[in-house]
Amino acid sequence: MQKRVTFVEQLEMENVLTKGRGHVSTRSMDPERGGLESLPRHLGRETHVDMSPSNQRMKTSHIPQTLMSVPFLQHPALATGRRRHLCSIANVYSTEHMRQQMKRHYLNVLHTYIQSSVYTSHLKAFGKAVHALSRVGDELWLDPKVKGLALRSVNSAHSAYACFLFSPLFFKNYNLRPATEHGAETVKCKLAMKCVLPLFRCLNSIERNVEQCQISVGSPDDQVMIQFFCRHGITKTHNLRFQESEALQAVFASHLCPNVLKAPARLFGDVVMHFPSSQEEVTLSMTPLRVGLKNYCDAVNDHMKTMYTEMSLHPDEFDYFHVGVDSNITFCLKELRGLLSFAESHCLPVSVYCGAAGKPVCFSVEDMVLEATVVLATLYDPESKDPSQSAAMTLTDATQRCAEAAVLPVGSCEANIGEPEDIPAVTEMIASSQGSPMNVPPALMLPLLHTAGVCVPEDHCSSANSSPASSTICSLLFRAVSLEQDNHDSTARPPVLAFYSDEEENMEEDTDSPSL
Amino acid sequence: MPLLTQSQADDEEYVLVASLDNARNLSNILKAITFKDHAIFSATPTGLRVTVEDSKCLQANAFIQAEIFQEYTIKEDLVGFQVNLTVLLDCLNIFGGSTVPGVSTALRMCYRGYGYPLTLFLEEGGVVTVCKINTQEPEEPIDFEFCSSNVTNKVILLSESLKEAFSELDMTSEVLQITMSPSQPYFRLSTFGNSGNAHYDYPKDSDMMELFKCTKTQTNRYKMSLLKPSTKALALSCKVSVRTDSRGFLSLQYLVRNDDGQICFVEYYCCPDEEVEEE
Repeated sequence: MQKRVTFVEQLEMENVLTKGRGHVSTRSMDPERGGLESLPRHLGRETHVDMSPSNQRMKTSHIPQTLMSVPFLQHPALATGRRRHLCSIANVYSTEHMRQQMKRHYLNVLHTYIQSSVYTSHLKAFGKAVHALSRVGDELWLDPKVKGLALRSVNSAHSAYACFLFSPLFFKNYNLRPATEHGAETVKCKLAMKCVLPLFRCLNSIERNVEQCQISVGSPDDQVMIQFFCRHGITKTHNLRFQESEALQAVFASHLCPNVLKAPARLFGDVVMHFPSSQEEVTLSMTPLRVGLKNYCDAVNDHMKTMYTEMSLHPDEFDYFHVGVDSNITFCLKELRGLLSFAESHCLPVSVYCGAAGKPVCFSVEDMVLEATVVLATLYDPESKDPSQSAAMTLTDATQRCAEAAVLPVGSCEANIGEPEDIPAVTEMIASSQGSPMNVPPALMLPLLHTAGVCVPEDHCSSANSSPASSTICSLLFRAVSLEQDNHDSTARPPVLAFYSDEEENMEEDTDSPSL
Repeated sequence: MPLLTQSQADDEEYVLVASLDNARNLSNILKAITFKDHAIFSATPTGLRVTVEDSKCLQANAFIQAEIFQEYTIKEDLVGFQVNLTVLLDCLNIFGGSTVPGVSTALRMCYRGYGYPLTLFLEEGGVVTVCKINTQEPEEPIDFEFCSSNVTNKVILLSESLKEAFSELDMTSEVLQITMSPSQPYFRLSTFGNSGNAHYDYPKDSDMMELFKCTKTQTNRYKMSLLKPSTKALALSCKVSVRTDSRGFLSLQYLVRNDDGQICFVEYYCCPDEEVEEE
């Protein structure tokens, strides 16, 4: 801890003598005391000299009169360094310093007291996680594991999956029963959401009243016991029956995603707020220059009655921005809102991992003690407009994008060409934690529109006709595409960022994909 | 209130005259026992008692002492009649039930006797309304024979602790089980619903427990549908006394403070739910 003591220049020794007080400005470099520096500087008797804005962190220290009248402090030959030394000693004995010490001690005690009930705020976080999961599905999977307690849910169409993993540090006590004889590591239980949600419905009253919450899974009689120890000695015990079931887990290779965004939850919350809660689906479009979110209307809706909302974000607004593939992904917003409100209440940044349309998108939030993930299926729409077709696009945008266009449309074109049989192959990449393949129906990929032959590059070519440069690029693309159609020769294919099914499978086998 | 002073001349005809400066003092209490349409009014020199019954298993009583009324005149020892409680409450709130401070509805309730309607004079802001509600033959309220000497367990709790429990009760459970015991668990409310069971334990040394006198361990079940209406009374009250007698009958007594700070009592009596296992 560095501490520099400087005399305020204007302070004359004569003034000191006449006023009978000594004032020494101290500037503490200790960052820990930063909080206390903001205490009001005008403390009673001390008169302050020249509190210029640059000296905001200076504090005056009151040296007792008896000390100031001592001759050795007044000697003109006293060097600055010695003065500093003496004043630092004087500072120790100053009453203001004492007061500060006492204040700091009190704050520490208070902080320790508050810390001991940090678990109440964790309980509120747990409750918020249950709320978020209730927006996804009707059933809650409780999976106590060595690395933590996982709460999962999936919606009925299997197009949305959410997982909240709480590390053992999140809990005051985390006791896992050792592996039982029949080999199962721990109990995997499934609870009805409508049984669990009412227990955590009113988070404010939980915060006010509940001192401790104990959750026991797999106690005799196949029950989950949730006990709330409340104020005034009141105890609330809930024994919920659960069904033993297969583990629910989706493995999502987020490190393979070409597009990664990370922004504070507040940003997403502000964006999503503009969409009415009845708005089911939104389209997130990503290009290296902008990210846009707009509501999705399928052709069925009456265009006259729908309100179109579109929002645009600049890459600078994101903490991390990497768009490898221009994409337009459409997903359901409803299941995501729970995670966003959870992240906002904890001020955590949200990361988005996605690829081309048709691939699932993953939203994840994490801090030291918990991780939350929501994986949503996206609409697979080969006829979707390329982001380059947006009206706001400028010429420079087009040329910039065309530079890497060689890569992107080919990727998406391949996806288009992919045979229907390829789609079921994608499902195999989803494996459960126990290693047994889980039947995730193709719905996770949601191939709604499945027309072969309509190639995105064609659309791309037809629009990017503003400059001669772009037209050349287009023909290049066209050629690449035709190559593809002729001979599925992987070597002739330029490097792609958006994989289609077969390659992804290979990747899965090679690398250890992180499990959620 | 010119109209009300005029009727004072006819007072000789009324067997019961009760006046309140604030009709809400009566209507709020009556709301706490409104789970059936009809209520039996029994007026005695000590005060007014309103009884509502359900399927011979549940009885709710509201007591409004004579002291609460600004004027209470009764010519007979017992004046009884039966009226439609919903209609009566509608009349009491005829001026809209606004909660503007300083403005209250004044009430003068008059009853001439058997065969005559119940007359209500309501005044607010100079506007007077006269309501005449037809009365019916009063039924005899059930006497649950719940006497203090027979009480085995008695507990007085502060209402705020029970309010939360009652609002969270699992409604899929058909019964509410109340366990009172001199040993652990001292006072427990249990439900058995579709998802599982839930227990709410109140220890005898809790801050919320004002009085704890349990002599015997008793566990009784009561139909949830019968006890649900008592939540309204619980919401109004500050304290509640829970008593069970040797037969397992439950008595809930709620201490309610009205707008003027005066105390009224609301009582619920409930039969235990007995499973017929024999024969």
